[in-house]
Amino acid sequence: MSSSVAIAAEDLVKEYEGTRALDGFSVSVDRGEFFGLLGPNGAGKTTFIETLVGLSGPTAGTAAVFGHDVVADRRAVRQRVGLAPQEYNVDRFFPIREVLEHKAGYHGIRHETAQKRADWALDRVGLQEKAGATFKSLSGGMKRRVLLARALVTDPDLLILDEPTAGVDVQLRREIWDVVKDLNDGGMTVLLTTHYIKEAERLCDRVCIMEAGRSVAVDTPAELRRRGTDTYHLGVAGRPPGGALDGIDEVVSVERTDAGLAVEAGRSSGALPAVITALTEAGVTVTDVETEPTSLEDVFVDMTRTDSDRATPARPDEGTGSETDGPDIEVTR
Amino acid sequence: MSLRERAREGRLPNWAVRTLALGRREVLRVVRRPKNTVLPPIVTNALYVTVFGVILGARIGDTAGVPYLQFVIPGLIALGTITQSFQNASFTLFHGRWEEYVESVVASPMGHREQVTAYLLASAVRGLAVGLVIFGLGLVFSEIPVRRPLVAVAALVLVVTLFGSLGIAGGLWADDFDQLTVFNQFLIQPLVFFGGVFYPVSDLPGLVETVSYLNPMVYIVSGVRFGLLGQAEVSPVVSLGVLAGASVVAVAAVLALMARGYGLRD
Ligand SMILES: Nc1ncnc2c1ncn2[C@@H]1O[C@H](COP(=O)(O)OP(=O)(O)O)[C@@H](O)[C@H]1O
Ligand SMILES: [Mg+2]
Repeated sequence: MSSSVAIAAEDLVKEYEGTRALDGFSVSVDRGEFFGLLGPNGAGKTTFIETLVGLSGPTAGTAAVFGHDVVADRRAVRQRVGLAPQEYNVDRFFPIREVLEHKAGYHGIRHETAQKRADWALDRVGLQEKAGATFKSLSGGMKRRVLLARALVTDPDLLILDEPTAGVDVQLRREIWDVVKDLNDGGMTVLLTTHYIKEAERLCDRVCIMEAGRSVAVDTPAELRRRGTDTYHLGVAGRPPGGALDGIDEVVSVERTDAGLAVEAGRSSGALPAVITALTEAGVTVTDVETEPTSLEDVFVDMTRTDSDRATPARPDEGTGSETDGPDIEVTR
Repeated sequence: MSLRERAREGRLPNWAVRTLALGRREVLRVVRRPKNTVLPPIVTNALYVTVFGVILGARIGDTAGVPYLQFVIPGLIALGTITQSFQNASFTLFHGRWEEYVESVVASPMGHREQVTAYLLASAVRGLAVGLVIFGLGLVFSEIPVRRPLVAVAALVLVVTLFGSLGIAGGLWADDFDQLTVFNQFLIQPLVFFGGVFYPVSDLPGLVETVSYLNPMVYIVSGVRFGLLGQAEVSPVVSLGVLAGASVVAVAAVLALMARGYGLRD
């Protein structure tokens, strides 16, 4: 049994009447990794997570967490997992501090220790002042933090966060990430699903791009970006004739823009000199060149684009490079 | 080392810590919201006792050889205990599923036996507490004997076990709160009312009396009545036997449902 593996899933299938939420999904997450699951709505991310903690039983396939089978040995799995779910599911009869104490108790933590753990967890997410408040009375961002605190109160080895920053403002999102990053640095394995691709890009050691219940690609954000294309924004004098760049293999698409041309070519393909030469030969002077590298988001959109989408590309507007700290774009599809 | 010694040292086994944590949460929910939980049945029973004890009781005269209030109190205790233990378990599971917070129990290391035990303990606390209050209300107006305390306790413990289990099953099964109301209003309440709470079943005309013995509530009411008054229509062996049999079946069924994750897992 390789103890360096936190999550190992093989050919997971989950069928609901009519839908295959998971359709042969396989993935492997290393211990201590910060791992992201990216995928459009309905890709099966939540279903996968629910399979891990035994809230949903797989139709076929296997999964193990720290070597414990999620079906046969589900109690051992649950002992080591903290889950902050996508949907709010907090007991509203009790103030949040007690909600955390109860959760700790269900994991076998004695009452006095549970109280201390609850205080620690609330403090960790900056909610100690709200300890006596009920969940209902909290703002959206605070509610998300309660879910995180409740996941942490049992001192998990694997922290699973399902869309933990949905509807949370930028400032608060960053605070949440500071906490999680810190825990990850301390050795906690983190599995994250998010719509905010830049978040995944910034935080994750590796990401898995999921589509229709399958894994489309797994790699580091940098490697995945390398699989994408660069776009050259060219300022030109004169009107380039159609088909001038047809001879260059690396060129994926050419579009006329207000300033001139937008040429999309394989990433780091070195196609730029050939493009400029070809345009010059066609009697067009290139006055300005700007290279826009692919973002993970572009790769994501390309990989999860279905055929029907391809006919009418619905790429979200995006002007910022991958390293900029502008507002993240939410991919909702 | 015994459980109690370990508890004193704060070294309860993990399963006990988990079970007590859930049981504690369940009891606290009731205690913190008396207006929604234990006060309504107390008010209702105070009204029953006033009407039967003070207003009607004097006119009805002795029933089955005892003053009417004495006759009716064991039935009211049975009715209150049944309803409260059923409601407690069914509400908590239904509501927890509805608002999905039951997931924090389901996705915890708690085993199905631990969960069932915790829900049953809380239902027992609530059912027995209300039963005790009804007994107290009876004492306000009359002397209520407890001639066979062991039978009374055994009957009531079996009642909360049986109806706590039925409540768990109902809470796991219901998709809609009305279904639980229907179960309570149209099944449990009528059966208890026709189960000899307010009149001796043996006073009924032949066929109706015979049919009445098919009603399981007759055995429950009879068991509690025997425990208090030392006499009842059905012998305590039979009533406790029927109750114990039904409880065993119900607990086994609920354990099986929980183990399968019925109503809790996809
Ligand atoms: N309980 C359920 N019953 C029926 N279909 C479901 C259920 N849960 C999820 N699905 C379906 O499974 C697919 C995957 O859903 P989900 O795992 O929630 O995706 P994601 O989290 O990636 O948005 C969707 O098509 C969804 O409609
Ligand atoms: Mg989801």
